[in-house]
Amino acid sequence: MTNSSTPLLKGTLDVLVLKALSWGPMHGFEIVTWLEQRSNGSADVDDGALYYALHRMEERGLIESEWRLTENNRKARYYRMRAPGRAHLRTEGASLERYARALAEILALRAS
Amino acid sequence: MSRSRRLFHLDPLSRQLARREMREELAFHIEERVSQLVALGMSPDDARAEAIRRLGLTWVDAERQLGDSAEHKERRLDMRERVRELGDDIRYAMRGLANRPGFTAIAVLTLGIGIGANTAIYSAVDALLLRALPFAEPGRLMDIVQTSRDDGQSAWSYPKYKFFRDNQRSYATLAVHSSGQIIMTGADPERIAYEEVSTQYLATLGVRVAHGGDFPSELDVAGGAKRVVLISDALWQRRFNAAPDVVGKPLSLNNEPWEIAGVLPPGFRGLSGRAEAIVNLSARSPDELSEPWSLEFSMIGRLRDGVTVDQAKSEAALIGPRVYAAFPMAGGGLSTSKAPEKWTAAARPLNTIRVATGLRRSLLVLFGAVAMVLLIACVNLANLLVARAVARKREIAVRLALGAGRARLVRLLVTESLILALLGGGASLLVALAGTRILSAINPQETLRVQGLGGGIGAIGFEGIHLDGSALAFTFIVAVLVGLLFGLAPALGATRAGLVGDLKEGSGGSGRRVGASRRTMVIAEVALALVLLAGSGLMIRSLGNLLNVNPGFDGHDVLTLRLSVPPGVMAPDSMPGFYERLQAEIGGVPGVRQVAISDCPPLNNGCNSTIMTFADRPQSATGNAMVGVHWVSANWFGTMRVPVKRGRTFNESDRLGGPKVLVINEEAARRYFPGEDPLGKRVSVYQGGFHTGAEIVGIVGDVRFGTIDSLARPDVYISYGQARLSRMMLFVRAAGDPSALAPAVRAAVHRIAPHTPVYDLRAMPARVATATAQSRFIAVLLGLFAAVALSLAVMGIYGVLSFAVAQRTGEIGIRMALGAERVNVLAMVLREGMALAIVGLGIGLLAAFALTRVLRTMLFEVTTTDPITYAVMAGVLGLAVLAASWIPARRAAGVDPVVALRKG
Repeated sequence: MTNSSTPLLKGTLDVLVLKALSWGPMHGFEIVTWLEQRSNGSADVDDGALYYALHRMEERGLIESEWRLTENNRKARYYRMRAPGRAHLRTEGASLERYARALAEILALRAS
Repeated sequence: MSRSRRLFHLDPLSRQLARREMREELAFHIEERVSQLVALGMSPDDARAEAIRRLGLTWVDAERQLGDSAEHKERRLDMRERVRELGDDIRYAMRGLANRPGFTAIAVLTLGIGIGANTAIYSAVDALLLRALPFAEPGRLMDIVQTSRDDGQSAWSYPKYKFFRDNQRSYATLAVHSSGQIIMTGADPERIAYEEVSTQYLATLGVRVAHGGDFPSELDVAGGAKRVVLISDALWQRRFNAAPDVVGKPLSLNNEPWEIAGVLPPGFRGLSGRAEAIVNLSARSPDELSEPWSLEFSMIGRLRDGVTVDQAKSEAALIGPRVYAAFPMAGGGLSTSKAPEKWTAAARPLNTIRVATGLRRSLLVLFGAVAMVLLIACVNLANLLVARAVARKREIAVRLALGAGRARLVRLLVTESLILALLGGGASLLVALAGTRILSAINPQETLRVQGLGGGIGAIGFEGIHLDGSALAFTFIVAVLVGLLFGLAPALGATRAGLVGDLKEGSGGSGRRVGASRRTMVIAEVALALVLLAGSGLMIRSLGNLLNVNPGFDGHDVLTLRLSVPPGVMAPDSMPGFYERLQAEIGGVPGVRQVAISDCPPLNNGCNSTIMTFADRPQSATGNAMVGVHWVSANWFGTMRVPVKRGRTFNESDRLGGPKVLVINEEAARRYFPGEDPLGKRVSVYQGGFHTGAEIVGIVGDVRFGTIDSLARPDVYISYGQARLSRMMLFVRAAGDPSALAPAVRAAVHRIAPHTPVYDLRAMPARVATATAQSRFIAVLLGLFAAVALSLAVMGIYGVLSFAVAQRTGEIGIRMALGAERVNVLAMVLREGMALAIVGLGIGLLAAFALTRVLRTMLFEVTTTDPITYAVMAGVLGLAVLAASWIPARRAAGVDPVVALRKG
């Protein structure tokens, strides 16, 4: 799972976290595992970096947090997307997608 | 969710909370990761190590750095919330104000006028009393005068100045100066203001010439030095087109050549504030500067480093008697009225004599009055705010019940009053701008002089009044204070109201307390208004007395003008002939009925005076009899309608070489000839060659040559036919409007004397008006303030009673249903209004008695406790209150019991 992983481009992590939260409120570890599963481990995120990103986004008003109980009755901090976060995800996500597609096409070119 | 947050920095508790929560979150994360890895088959220890590795940080680092990050985030969120709340408050307040445009407009207007008037008067106080003198280190500048017990303060002669200068140790530099008018002769003659100074004048003031040089030190001699002049920047621009090579060029003053040594910096016009030219007094002849009792100069000095003001004061007191001893007064010296008693000297900071005491007092009185107007405006505003708060009682109660913090609500209400005050402050700038424009445009130097308020430093004048940074700061501070002080009390009162009572609409329980505070405010308003009314009433009475003064002449239809014949243009003996030709020429102008000449106009704050002695009495018996001396042409008394009481006035036969004759006024007859007949008596007057003796041939009525509010002093009149004098003023009696004659008269003068500047051309009624200008100015301003105060007080009472009636509609309905007559209800409301008025009037009377005392020196023939003024003003205010109560009372009497009870 941890081999052949690639470091993330700047700003990408925010979009990925927002994507995760677009499915519903999650606590930090849920976000991490969600990302690991969806990317088959190819998105290498330090768990610590995730929390920095969460603070940053909460500061910017993209997400908000609150303490809740998990299914196992444990106290955890849940993060939830706010309207500005949704807008951010839409615009930044679209531009990332365009970028990735362009990158893939260029790399797929073969010298003839 | 949104925690209530304090101030802009996180308090230590929430800071710790942020860190603890972060640690908990991290611990939870690690546990989750460990159990995930263990489920995949890892040993618990390995799993833990792997979990920490995946953090990308050591455990210690993670705890610290993520803690920092969490704290930072909290702080930012906290700040954003405060800004948002503030924005909410402002939006809420703005919405509230916009929803009640009438209330907002009245409040902003009231404050605008109140604060604006204060800013305008503050600007005047700042310019005239507060602002630093426009010289280098003004605190080190001293003014030094001679003083004596009987004659007060006196100027210096050159020898006395020199003695003082050579014997003092307190000053780095000393200088003497005097100011006057001089004729700039040449192609286009012009009268200009000038100063005559000693060489260290500019150095003492700390002023440097802009071009050329200061007076060279070799000019510092006792007379006979080269004639050197420094010209003002304005004169340089106007007459020399700012030519750079002006230094060294000649300038003709009074037909004598002066050499221009330098150009003064822009804006500097000497201590007189008007000088176009500054000349060295050492250019005079040594004779002129050797007369020790020719007291014509003021002295200034710049303190030596390390010398204190007090040291300089005590030194002056020590040197003063030595100066006096060094120059004993010659027996019967003619140049002075000073009795031979002990003189000394006094030094005081130049700043303390910047304006005359009377002017300072007037300004402070106006400042006090205008502050009272603002206070009334504020009380009214507070009243309006209380009324609003009461009207919103339910809304506030609901908010409190829903858990809004009281602090937050108070903040909300205070924000509203602050915004109102700031809007009012903004509006006030328009009022202040207009006010300062008007104040700076009245150029009262002449006005102040003839009213005995001259003196001070001419450079400190009304033209310096303008809205500047300090005035803006003043406005802002006043607005904020007003908003806070007069918004806070109503806000605290409104949010203190009992919860339950206010939720039940219509309960009067908490209304009582608010009502009491509003009543207090109305009483305060009435009291303040009465103080202002009484003050303005006293000033108006005083002004009425001034306007009723008979000055001793009839100046209607009289035009006055001066001309100064430059010295050297005319031989002294040709003067009488010149005057005759001049009078004949002007007399020929159509519309001119009479032409006369005198050397000094009435109401001039005094003219020339000297000593009179009596042929039939030893001098020691009378002491020094002081008389004002007036040169007049034979027909002056007729032209000015001055009544001849006994004997005759001058005629054609009173000429040079003939027997010398004098006319005296009634006051001179009363004072110097009690129980005697002055006619035929021989006296000596030490001016115009009349010291050889002359016969008194007539007595005329008293004319006020001093200020309008001071009785005439003993005067003697000398005929131009028997004495030479180049100084003269023409009095032209017109058939109609005197001002309309001005161009024709000016033209006639120029036909006879082409190179003689005509100046001071004014109708006599304008001179009389000038003599009462300060009183009128203060009476008008105080009257204006009092009128504003009166209308504000009336509005306040009307508001309180209307509100009370509206609140008590139910009660009134019950009373009427139980049989109360409409008249009873009417009387009840009126009684309530009048009760407030009477308490207010009582307090106001006491306050007015105490406060109007400051007006004492400004009043003419009115005492500060003048019963008529107080009675009239209290009556006016009482009637105004009655009128203001009438409308709410009528409304109360019109209550329909059925409707009122159904509603209640």
